Amino acid sequence: MSLLVADNIAVSFGGVKAVQDVSFTVNVGEVFSIVGPNGAGKTTIFNLISRIYDVDHGSIVFDGIDITKVPTHAIAELGIARTFQNTELFEQETVLKNMLIGCHIHRTSHLISELFFLPSVKRQELEMRRAVEEVIDLLDLQSYRDNVIGELPYGVRKMVEVARALCLRPKLLLLDEPSSGLNPEETEDLSFWLEDINEELGITVIMVEHDMNLVTQASDRILAMADGRTITIGEPEAVQNHPEVLRAYLGD
Amino acid sequence: MRFVRKTDYAQDVDLFQHNGQRFWYGLLALVVLLAPLALDRFYLGELALVYIYAIAGIGLMLLVGYTGQVSLGHAAFLAIGAYTHAYLLNHGWPLPLALVAATGLTAVVGGIVAIPALRMTGIYLAVATLAFAVIVEQVLTHWVSVTGGFRGMAVPKAEFLVDLSGAGAFYYLCLGSLVVSLLAALNWLRSPTGRALVAVRDSETSAQSMGIHLAYTKGLAFAISAAFTGLAGGLFAHKITYLAPDGFTLIMSIQLLLMVVVGGLGSMHGVIFGAIFIGLLPQGIAIFRDSVPPTIAQIPGLEPGIFGLILVLFLIYEPLGIYGRWCKIRLFFEEFPLYRKATYKKQKSYLRTERLR
Repeated sequence: MSLLVADNIAVSFGGVKAVQDVSFTVNVGEVFSIVGPNGAGKTTIFNLISRIYDVDHGSIVFDGIDITKVPTHAIAELGIARTFQNTELFEQETVLKNMLIGCHIHRTSHLISELFFLPSVKRQELEMRRAVEEVIDLLDLQSYRDNVIGELPYGVRKMVEVARALCLRPKLLLLDEPSSGLNPEETEDLSFWLEDINEELGITVIMVEHDMNLVTQASDRILAMADGRTITIGEPEAVQNHPEVLRAYLGD
Repeated sequence: MRFVRKTDYAQDVDLFQHNGQRFWYGLLALVVLLAPLALDRFYLGELALVYIYAIAGIGLMLLVGYTGQVSLGHAAFLAIGAYTHAYLLNHGWPLPLALVAATGLTAVVGGIVAIPALRMTGIYLAVATLAFAVIVEQVLTHWVSVTGGFRGMAVPKAEFLVDLSGAGAFYYLCLGSLVVSLLAALNWLRSPTGRALVAVRDSETSAQSMGIHLAYTKGLAFAISAAFTGLAGGLFAHKITYLAPDGFTLIMSIQLLLMVVVGGLGSMHGVIFGAIFIGLLPQGIAIFRDSVPPTIAQIPGLEPGIFGLILVLFLIYEPLGIYGRWCKIRLFFEEFPLYRKATYKKQKSYLRTERLR
């Protein structure tokens, strides 16, 4: 069963055709990776799915809904969460507060009840706090709970961003280069957590990644791109040995 | 150094984190409640003014310190609150109702101003809000039938059931309003919509992908900010007893902004510190004028000049404001022999995703 179907999507910025007629399908429960050299259009695809950019043509259907016209903020409520290549955390706030903001879409309170902090709001806060704690446990972030993002090392920030995305309780998680800036041990941990997220929480993952070890280890299928075009889609080994992929990375 | 041992999630949600805080805030409450017994009329009046500034400051802090939207037009919201309140009182409305109506109307105006302002950030937003303030000033001058134009408008005595215009009674009215405002603001900030403000300030891109509606959140921030300032305006009207357009000029807007920046952006403590500072500053300048030769004391524009100078000095040497300095001093004593000088040194920030706009 497919969760996300991208059909012939394309976007260009001025004369630069960032993504040209790319089609792919992501199945429920899959870890789907997108690889390719710099400028291949991987992150652009993420930005199309999370509606930061508009597609020029083509359609993206998520869970039976065409999301190409959905407003940006409504994407999260449909069940898509994402992380960013160079982290986009709320820098002046604590890890806990960042993750609580991740719970935003699950709120039932409104302005008036919040101004008076009615018992229902308090109950909701405690519930969110508990949900956050589950994610903290899953990703081993206990010791950073009350740290302000600005004082955390880069590797931890990357994990906090994943944690914040998990607080949305998404169906689909988009990870933009989760291992960039991580040391080998942290990357190793990441691949375990990825497995937990995928198998225990049942979240479908799309990942843009350069670390081929991580990609082949973790993903079910891979989309290889170059210059905004699809080269091939398939199982990790097949993609790795595909002559066009080798040429895109290594040249002729 | 205090380590709070948390055994319950409610401890994170509560307003007071530990008993030490309960004790000190309780003491503070006792002091401000008993202040009228010890202070004379003049100082009570000054203190009431500090509270009024603080209420306006809460509004501006929510917008500038928490949502990251600059406003140079808050004097206009103060004016709208003040004039609405006075107008309704003159037409026989009871005081609480007039105050609520003034707050509500200012909130609506704030929401409307937000619509064009949503598209702007930084300096452009500052200029746009400045333009709004100028427009309001012109309206106050020319809409003679309602505002009295240049002649201005007298504010009726504050009374509801009892006479509230005495120094002590008015003091309690302002104190009560401040406490209610502060509680409302703090409650908001520990709830989802309030947290969304901070999200918008720190990363709009990220806030959007967390499901936060940018336009709605910013608009709401403007409206709520205006509401608090409108409430302050209503009380301010009683304080100055006679409204005229020249009471709500650009200088007032800058003074309000100065308050939140000097107090410390991004904290409610900062509002209170800033309000005390702004409340006392005119006295300080008066003393300064007396102590220097007349040639210097009579320079035109001395007051705005000093405001500007203080703002610049704070931005350079203490961007975290008085509250930031207070935190540093407290940390120094908590860690006494071990305080590290570099604790608050600015860290090198990591690369961030290119702005996706």
